[in-house]
Amino acid sequence: MNAHLDSPESPSSIVLVEDDPALRTLTARALQQNGYIERPACSAPEMWQALEAGPTDLVLLDIMLPGTNGIDLCRALRQKSDVPIIFISAKGSETDRVVGLELGADDYIAKPFGTSELVARVRAVLRRGALDRRHGRPEQGILSFDGWQAILARRELLSPSGAQVELTGAEFDLLISLLDHAGRVIARERLIELSRTRLGDSSDRSVDVLVSRLRRKLSHDGKQAPIVTVRGVGYMLNVAVTRT
Amino acid sequence: MRSFVRPSIGIAGRIVAILLLTLLLEFGVSTLLYERASRFAVREDEAHRLAEHLVISRKLIADSAPAARAATAAELTTDRYALRWEQALPPPPTISPTLDGMREQILAWEPTLAASDLRVQLVSPGRNAYVTGGLRLPDESWLYFRTIEPLVTVNLALERILLTLIPAVAMMIVAILLVRRMLFPLRRLAAAADDFGVADVDEVPEAGPGDVRRVTAAFNRMQQRIRRLISDQTQALAAVGHDLRTPLARLKLRADGIDDPALRRAMEGDVAEMGAMVDSLLAFLGGDHDPERAVRIDLAVTVETIVDALRDAGHEVEYDGPDHLELTIKPMSLKRAINNLTGNAVRYGQHVWVRVVQDDTDVTIAVEDDGPGIPEADLIRVLEPFVRLDDARGRDTVGFGLGLAIVVRTLETLGGRLTLSNRVPHGLCAAIVLPRAADMIPYEHAAPQQRPVAIS
Repeated sequence: MNAHLDSPESPSSIVLVEDDPALRTLTARALQQNGYIERPACSAPEMWQALEAGPTDLVLLDIMLPGTNGIDLCRALRQKSDVPIIFISAKGSETDRVVGLELGADDYIAKPFGTSELVARVRAVLRRGALDRRHGRPEQGILSFDGWQAILARRELLSPSGAQVELTGAEFDLLISLLDHAGRVIARERLIELSRTRLGDSSDRSVDVLVSRLRRKLSHDGKQAPIVTVRGVGYMLNVAVTRT
Repeated sequence: MRSFVRPSIGIAGRIVAILLLTLLLEFGVSTLLYERASRFAVREDEAHRLAEHLVISRKLIADSAPAARAATAAELTTDRYALRWEQALPPPPTISPTLDGMREQILAWEPTLAASDLRVQLVSPGRNAYVTGGLRLPDESWLYFRTIEPLVTVNLALERILLTLIPAVAMMIVAILLVRRMLFPLRRLAAAADDFGVADVDEVPEAGPGDVRRVTAAFNRMQQRIRRLISDQTQALAAVGHDLRTPLARLKLRADGIDDPALRRAMEGDVAEMGAMVDSLLAFLGGDHDPERAVRIDLAVTVETIVDALRDAGHEVEYDGPDHLELTIKPMSLKRAINNLTGNAVRYGQHVWVRVVQDDTDVTIAVEDDGPGIPEADLIRVLEPFVRLDDARGRDTVGFGLGLAIVVRTLETLGGRLTLSNRVPHGLCAAIVLPRAADMIPYEHAAPQQRPVAIS
């Protein structure tokens, strides 16, 4: 399992909120084996205590805790702190996922999950959090370009005619990277690096494949997608982007 | 889905029919009476006039000289009666029923005519009937007469019927409107019952006649009971799902700790299968189901994304269709349905084609594979829940055999349908047919060549 360890700068501490004792122990062990320090909690009050016990880099929150609505807890936590949140749900429910992400959770893991998925998501969220702190950019708001709208909280892309255009996590991350550097050429290597700081499955496909898929999805009304290839260097988004 | 209903006259129709019948009866009877009375009156009137005319004519002609009699008769001809003087009475026409009734009437008015051997007959040269006849003058010559106007005119009767019909028709229209209004709550109830389970149905307002109110109230109570049952069941299932997925998560994490790779993979496979079973059962019974809202999506991109994911997983899948196709639909439900079909296709076939085709009325998402297909006899049966054609399609089926049943159920909520057909020489074509909503705007200009779906 240590193969997954990706040399974090210093061990990150994670507050794990899970009511099932056995699952809590197993999840804690999986996190420890991958170099994270975790503080377990089995209920909402314990979570608040654990958060006060020391600096926290991430909260792993089961939203189906007895006696508490996980969504409410997530909201309360987000109001008090900017700590990254990944919520765990046994409901395969899309609404929960969307609501959770809208409330400011950073990612979502559905039960049953394995060690590799857990660690990949934890790592991606921690990296993204570090990146955001460095750039001072929260994952919120709407990026508009050429009639298109990328809604960051919901990770949704709306076409100029208002239709939801489905993007995979990796495609969305790539688009955001391009939007963040609009009008500037981004080297392929840099794009790979930026994309890899996001969801765990990002690095599976080559950037070129992702760009070609993104281009196809971003064509509209007979118009080409506004992504240009700079031969031998990388890619560039050649339209203006406004952030609201 | 609305089933075909044998055409039948509704309550309104029946009430209108009854009204129509009684009205017609009433109208018929009154018309008959009126007609008879008027005809009688006309004859009475005519008989009197004829009697007077005959008495005067007899006197004048009898008094004039025989040579002047024909001229006098001509002078006495009015626009109503034609008079002719003859030495002898012309023989009566072959079909000329004697009008005894009218003769009696004439004689009753002018009894002196009885002495003149009065004859009254009906002749019908054309369609119209005329009264003809004669009377003997004292010198044995005859005065012949004939009415010029036909006795009864048909046109007059028709006009009268139409005039009588106008109030009847007006009454009918008022009656139809009133009955329709009265039965409106029943129609609303029928619409609500039809929509129940498909769309969101509110309480049906209780209105209309007492019987209809009672039916509406009963329907509303039934609707509440069903809702409560469904929500109880959904909550119970969600709880079961939660309770099963937590131990599954434990099992998965424990399996990660197994050192023997073969054992670990086997166990991971088991856990994945159990997870898939929980997923499909919850999807089928609605335990995970959210009241999803329909939103506008780019269907073509959604399908392309599914195809991309299958390709990344190492399958040979081709997409054939427009780059963009927008429509308003519940996206998660549709994706589940498509994923289900593509999952089957890559399991049974080496090569898979996903085609999106649109015509004036429908959008078709056809998933075709080159696998063994399904025996024709089983094409219907395979859509039913808990049916697995293990012998025909291999034993590696995941879940409970609920996949296609879930697709059928999901598509029902989307207003679409699933069609299955075998391909030549082998393989299956599973097509999702969605009605093209009015708001769907395909904005594809340079649409790539669209091949028609091979549904045979």
